[in-house]
Amino acid sequence: MRMLYLLKKVIKGVNMQISKLIVSSVLSVTLFAQVSWGQIASTELVLGSPSAVSSEAKVSQFVAREDVAKAFEEMGVDPKTVELKLASLSDDEINSIASNIDTLPAGGDGGSIIGAIVFIFIVLLITDILGLTKVFNFTRSVR
Amino acid sequence: MATRDYLFFLCATAALFILSGCVAKDPLPQGKVYPSTSINVPFISPRQDLCGSTSIQMVAQYWQANRNYSPKLSLQELDQRTLLPLKGGTLQVELVSTARANGLIAYPLEPNFDALLSELSAHHPVIVLINRSYSWYPMWHYIPVNGYDTTRKEFLTHFSDQPNEPIGIKTFAELWKRSEYWGVVLLPPGEIPASATSKKFLRSVYELEKVGMVEEAIRSYQSALMRWPEDSDIHFILGNSYSRVDRLSEAEESYRRFLLRNPNHPLALNNLALLLSKTGRKTEGLALLDNAVSKDPEVQKMLRETREEILKK
Repeated sequence: MRMLYLLKKVIKGVNMQISKLIVSSVLSVTLFAQVSWGQIASTELVLGSPSAVSSEAKVSQFVAREDVAKAFEEMGVDPKTVELKLASLSDDEINSIASNIDTLPAGGDGGSIIGAIVFIFIVLLITDILGLTKVFNFTRSVR
Repeated sequence: MATRDYLFFLCATAALFILSGCVAKDPLPQGKVYPSTSINVPFISPRQDLCGSTSIQMVAQYWQANRNYSPKLSLQELDQRTLLPLKGGTLQVELVSTARANGLIAYPLEPNFDALLSELSAHHPVIVLINRSYSWYPMWHYIPVNGYDTTRKEFLTHFSDQPNEPIGIKTFAELWKRSEYWGVVLLPPGEIPASATSKKFLRSVYELEKVGMVEEAIRSYQSALMRWPEDSDIHFILGNSYSRVDRLSEAEESYRRFLLRNPNHPLALNNLALLLSKTGRKTEGLALLDNAVSKDPEVQKMLRETREEILKK
């Protein structure tokens, strides 16, 4: 069992490295794109968005991307898909989810039957506790 | 027994209170009439946790059947990109970015009924985020809205396992309010949202351009120019996109049109100067740079570097 655990830990470490690699490669691609544009004033400037030009902004952008990559992996996304997901998210989008990804709504349908069962369970639990029902053996009424 | 009566009374009041909170007034803007519409959006059966992907697919298939558009991603790819397994769903930004990767422009809907009904009237299906339950036990769900029935005051949606499920407007308002009226209009290149403003639309198109779909973006900028001919910025933006895909004579024409209205615009002069030097007209390019003046140090730096680059060639 312990071997298994260690193995898992190693795999997780490798995964983290891979995710870092992905982030840095994505970043270098975006930087490269800027370089290849040469001195052309970008559309961004006309659309009036606060584009990340200062080096501090770039670093914080990098960190935000890394945070999101980590969060995606923790949510069960495989590293290859994390790369795909990150590549299609704009800087603004990354910033909007980087700090609060855990609490953001994720539309998913499904689970409604289980959800309903949980809901009924909680309602009956409360009514049990209030002494209005006696569905469960383990509850004790407050009265 | 008194306690028991009291508790019953308490529960009844609470229930009444919760329920009365649900009964909304007519949420439609007063004094405006919206026609009944029913958009023929293909229906796909729901699959667990994948309503984001399915919604995109339904709307994409609608556009595929009605416009010159072909999706870039398969349903499997949509699933893979939208699903966060342990969250059991899709984030809003992911829905938007995946739709974009599928070659669609994702225009964020203004959070109100007027925008929603305007889009439906223009036969643009809208994907909205709703919470099927209360905020303390959220059940987030994406649905394509594909019609409105004026007489019955019902929205038509592909809500669950049957097509065109009607939802009364008051219920719809309750469910939609919980996502702060979040919605997105997914459109093929060249199509413009009925409720769009020019800058917000250009920004959505530019997002598509940034992920590499430049030709698709150009089609949309061209439509934007027809819709908002007075917005000269579109010429500049088109100039940049044409240069990116080496359509240089069209790029030159676009920059020149922009400069007709903004003769001393340093960014446009800068870009046109580079383009001219690229096509063997170095002196003309340098002459343009002489007219480019700016107080912004960043822009000054850019102009200096452009001049150096042209001189080097």
